[in-house]
This record gives sequence, structure tokens and C-alpha cells, in this order.
Amino acid sequence: MKKLIRMAAAALALGVLVSIGAQEGHPLKGSWLGEWQGNSVHGDDILLILDWDGKAITGMINPGTDNMPLTRASLEPNGWVVRLEAEGKDKDGSAVRYVIDGKIENLELPNRSINGTWSSNKGRGTFTASRQ
Amino acid sequence: MKLRSVAHWCVGLGVAIAAPLAGAHHAVVAKFDDTKRTELRGIVTGVDWRNPHVHVFTNVARDDGSVENWAVELESTVLLRRSGWKHDTLRPGDAIRVSGPAARDGSRQVWGETVVATATNRQVYTVTDTGPLSPQAPRPTPRGADGKPLLGLADESGGYWAYPSSTVLVQMGANVQMNRDGVLARIADAPRVAPFQPWALGLYQHRQQRHLADDPGFLNCKNPGAVRQFQQPYGVQFVEDPARERIFVLIGGGNHNYRLIYMDGRDQQGQVQGDDDNPLYYGRAVAHWENDTLVVRTTGFNEDFWFTNGGLPHTDELSLVERFTRPDYDTLRYEVTVDDPGAYTQPWSSSWELRWVGGEELPVYFCQDNRS
Repeated sequence: MKKLIRMAAAALALGVLVSIGAQEGHPLKGSWLGEWQGNSVHGDDILLILDWDGKAITGMINPGTDNMPLTRASLEPNGWVVRLEAEGKDKDGSAVRYVIDGKIENLELPNRSINGTWSSNKGRGTFTASRQ
Repeated sequence: MKLRSVAHWCVGLGVAIAAPLAGAHHAVVAKFDDTKRTELRGIVTGVDWRNPHVHVFTNVARDDGSVENWAVELESTVLLRRSGWKHDTLRPGDAIRVSGPAARDGSRQVWGETVVATATNRQVYTVTDTGPLSPQAPRPTPRGADGKPLLGLADESGGYWAYPSSTVLVQMGANVQMNRDGVLARIADAPRVAPFQPWALGLYQHRQQRHLADDPGFLNCKNPGAVRQFQQPYGVQFVEDPARERIFVLIGGGNHNYRLIYMDGRDQQGQVQGDDDNPLYYGRAVAHWENDTLVVRTTGFNEDFWFTNGGLPHTDELSLVERFTRPDYDTLRYEVTVDDPGAYTQPWSSSWELRWVGGEELPVYFCQDNRS
């Protein structure tokens, strides 16, 4: 029975994987869902909305009440190295400056991921997000 | 018991969703490695005569006495039929010799570059179709009631455009070697193919290094939008509707879709908020005549497909100006200027010709598995 449940989970995961919408343009464009582990200020979960206007990468972290617009973003095609910077506030209203450094993995897949680290003046940890 | 049923259902659902990928169509170069040459001798066990690729299953005896079943993959039924072959050219029990590139993944599959029926020493399933013969003297361009050239049918006998002189997109003046699928002979030539932005060059090189294995036109039968519809082996057919001031471009391969070109002077806009509300595989095309040339301007593309063979990236800022001329009955000249500031540093152009295949309708070929 355990084997059957594992097969069911794997089959569903495969199904979900091939169902994600394609995005064959700029690799960062789209919605990214993931975790910045150990973030005691904004929680472990992160949602990134990224866009490309032909000249610059723009975007938003956690759209909603805690939204933080990106202040700087870059993508280096040699190694597909990503750097995202944003500025938010903690619950006391003091500034929290974030830097996310990562690398795009599985570039060719619709659900490609960014894996790396996050750091701020309030902490640091591992970062991972997958394109939705 | 209930949990077991749910688990069974989930397995079925997952496999059902994933099944199209498992049986996916592909570019030949994506699946077979030309540097891994294989030769086989065996006995045919079956012929699977269907698109997108025909397969001949063959039992091959090994030195240790064991028998392995190999799949010999061939072109589509359309291309084989045009070359005079039939589903029963080979039958179960026939002995064959096969040579060609082996599958990249090490599975028992080979691309049937050469297939020889051993009993007769006759080479079979070769694709010899090179298209219609050119007339001895050029026939005049057919014209409609308004005097403009007809890009489509001039009479009831049928016909379409195919056999493009180029199946790849390279900026004019660049001398770059690539195969018919758009795979570069030398990856170092990539920067000369088009004036890429850095990210677009990186993505193009990545796709090339993966032998175009991720092409959604094959993997998911995505539409051959933009330039790609004029690079297809199964052609395009123009259906002109002067009463409604529009031209339909029917696509012979892929998923048999069509593109709509408006001739009524309308603005190039989407339905609600310009082109942003509903980007399309074929974009929004409006056209007018400049003397004997149809000039088509298209914007409003989505980013869900590859707009040309070979994996050149584009963004939703892609804008095309295409110029169609029919200098004689049997020739269609296609010129395109690509302007995509999201992926390229400047506009760039290319051109090629297609040939008229008269007296026939578009071949029935679908990207998905089918028996046609």
C-alpha cells in the first residue's frame, strides 16, 4: 500500500509538472513560489512576480499588504546567476534590506527554479523558488 | 480500501496528464546522436505506420543467443508515401539491414537513415521527394478581379505552398551553417545568427546545446506561430476572402491551425486592452497591398512557443513585417523583418521562397500521433 501511495504521489507530481504553462521568453518572467527559510520578519514563504520590459527586470515580492518592490535585479546568462534586491519594513516599521543571490536551474523547463541564499540586516538563510 | 481506490485513481490521473509528453514528437536531432552510428541486422516484427514518425520494430539476435527488439524510426507517413513507400513495403518476417544514428538516451532505438531489405538488397523507406518539377517557362502570376496577385488558389484544382528554400532563420548576410532543424554546425557561430540581447543569446545557446530537445512545437504540438509557419515541411495554404476582407493562412503541419490576416484597414488592437489582453500564437495581423506586394504587420504574440526553427527566443514585444510577393505562378517570395526589442538589439531581416504544389490539398499530418 505504501508503494502504491508513493506511485500515486509521483504520478500526480509528473502530471502537475507537465501541466505548468510554457514561458519561452525571458527566463525570469512570471510568478515564482518558494521559501526563504528562517525569515523571522516576513515568514518562510515567498511569492515573486517578475517581469522583463526589454531593458530591465522589475518585480514585486509578496504582493499584498507586505509587498516589496524590487529595487535592483540582474541576470547573468553565463551560469544564469540571479541577484534580486528589495527593501521592506518589519512590524516596527524599520527598514529591512534584502538581497537574494541564486542560480536558475532547469532553465529549459516551465517550472524552472531559482536556488541560492537570501540575506538581510535581520538574518540570512537558503532560498528556493519555482516558476508557476 | 477507500485510500487504495484514491491512490489508483491518482496514478491513472497523473499518467493520463503526463502521457502526451511520454509519447511526444521530437526533432530527429533531439532524439538521435549523429556521432553514435549503429548498424543492425534483424527480422521485422511489425510496422507502425503512423504520424508523426513511422516505426519498424525489429528483432536483432545477439552473439550470446539472446534477442533484442529494436525500434527503427523513420520519417512521417506523408513523406514516405510521397516517396512511393507503403505500410506494407516491409512485412513481419522480412530480414533487414539498418544503419543510422542511435538514440541519445541509450535505448534500443535507431534513426533509419539506411534500411535495406536483405532478400532483394533493395534500399527502402528512403525519402526522395524533392517537390514539384519547375515548369519549363515561368507561368504568369494569377490575379484576382481587382488586379492584385492571388496568393492562394487560382482555380478549383487545389494547391498550397511548401518546400521552403530555407527552413531556418538567420539574419541577412550572415553565413552560418546549420541543419534543416536549425542546429548549428558550430555553436561558436551563435552570435552571428541574429543581433541577440545577452540573455537571448544565452538561451539560444542553451537550446542548441540541448539539440532542441525542449522545442514546444514538438513536445507539446504548440502552434508554429510567426515565421515558423513558413518553414514547415507540410506547407501553408492561403485562402483569400475578398468579401470579408481577410486572408486565412491554413497550416499544413503541427496541429492544423490557421492564421487570420485582416485586410479591412482595422487598427491593430486586441479586444479589450490593446494587444496586452490576449496575446496569441499567430499574433494580430493587418495587411495592405503595396503594388504587387502584400505587406503584413503583426504584433500581439504570446511567449508560449518558438517563433522559428532552431530555438531563437522572442518576447511579447515581437513585431513582424512580412512581405509576400508572387513573381510567377509557382513562386512565393517571403521576406520578414523581426523587431523584438525585448530579445534583440535591433531589427533584422531574412527571406526565402516557397514553391507551389498544384492540384493537391494540404497533407493530412498532425503533430500528435495519428494514422493519417
